[in-house]
Amino acid sequence: MSKLKDHAGGADSATFIEAGHRSPDGNYIWDGQEWIAVRQPVARAASKGLSSWADGLDRGTSEDLFHGQTVIVWARWILIGTGLLLSFWNARDLPVLEVQLAAIITLAFGNFYLHVQLLRGRPAIDVIVYAASAADLAVITALVVVQGGFSSPVFIFYFAAALGFSVAFPTPLAAAYSVVGIATYGVICLATSPVSDEPAIFTRMLMIAAISVCGNLFARNERHRRAEAVRLHEEVLAEMQTGKAGEPDTAPVTTA
Amino acid sequence: MQQMKEVRTADQAAAEDIFFGQTVILWARWSVIVAGIVLVLWTSGTVEQLTRTIPFFLALMAMNFFLHGRFVMGSPLNRTVVIASSIVDLVMISAIVGLWPGGQDGLKSPFFVLYYPVVFAFALVLPRTIEAAYTVFAILVYTAVCFFTGTMSLGNGAEDYKQLVMRLIVMAAMGFLGNYYFRIQRDRLRRATAGGPSPLKDLQQKLGASTSAS
Repeated sequence: MSKLKDHAGGADSATFIEAGHRSPDGNYIWDGQEWIAVRQPVARAASKGLSSWADGLDRGTSEDLFHGQTVIVWARWILIGTGLLLSFWNARDLPVLEVQLAAIITLAFGNFYLHVQLLRGRPAIDVIVYAASAADLAVITALVVVQGGFSSPVFIFYFAAALGFSVAFPTPLAAAYSVVGIATYGVICLATSPVSDEPAIFTRMLMIAAISVCGNLFARNERHRRAEAVRLHEEVLAEMQTGKAGEPDTAPVTTA
Repeated sequence: MQQMKEVRTADQAAAEDIFFGQTVILWARWSVIVAGIVLVLWTSGTVEQLTRTIPFFLALMAMNFFLHGRFVMGSPLNRTVVIASSIVDLVMISAIVGLWPGGQDGLKSPFFVLYYPVVFAFALVLPRTIEAAYTVFAILVYTAVCFFTGTMSLGNGAEDYKQLVMRLIVMAAMGFLGNYYFRIQRDRLRRATAGGPSPLKDLQQKLGASTSAS
């Protein structure tokens, strides 16, 4: 392969490829006289600059999910670590311990996968993140049921789960998760406790809801602030380009 | 994309953090107040019990009326007052947990969950050092209340200690995770304000560059 030249014509390349004159490594095409380097299709440059912020600022996007996902992942590690510690602390009932450990280890494997994806800059597909959070709720609920429902102390893990999805998910989804989690826990508690404990059940449910509302309110405010920051930035740039640069309006924006 | 300095100064950004975060704290406090008042009215068996317990929540309510009123009128409070009011929250909740009548005090109090939204909301507003101090304070106060009310025992395989540790870990998690998210959002806002790429795009480009280099 002494003579190599660059081949820029996309249409010609296609013709050669169809004719089967491509080199084994796929990088060269034989045109009958010499090998021509095939230019790989240039991937569209990753969005850089303000456009990467502006995409879908009015709704929960995957970008938001990526950042919220780190919180979910850490919340889940805390849940796993605490769950392991407490499972071994004063363990008595073998079947209960087995269920606990199986659930916790499954969660740990899933969380490891999601954490690795995050570290590689590849946020997991949205559906997987949603499914993982649903699994969190399912595992916590299973632990609560196994430990007797209302009397189970592990209900406090609902708080960590609610925190995670309230900051990561768009509002409708966060609300749906919260309602499902709270309603499920409420039904379990009502079925496993005397009437005199209903006030305590109410308090627990309301506080889980409060965590969800606070987290999502903050996330929405932050989206709004970023959108406002981008707008301000673009205004200032436009003014600079037209030579009318003045003092930017830096007053705090209103809440979302 | 032309790069430029942030259009907000650090002071302005900090003031905005307080402004926006104050909403979260206010709503967290309202949730505590609503939960408390409903519980008091629901569970009180005697006039004496009602008159002993409702003042805690009325005090919190009065404070939140004032703070929310200031916020709505466009004159939100500064950082010092926000911190002070949040400490008052902790003190009031600890008083509720420690002084609740009917043998439901200390570790047995169902009101310990009131700490969580308060700690979480605070963590979404203030920088790491202050937030860490606040969370540690909450943990210490709750632990002290549990011990001083005599509701901790070493019986039953130290089950009480296990419950306390579990609750404290979740309380610490509320503070840590809330502030972690707060710092992520600060970084995103700072980058957006400066017109730079988002952290995700940045990371993907770096990883893409290192992959192609190798």
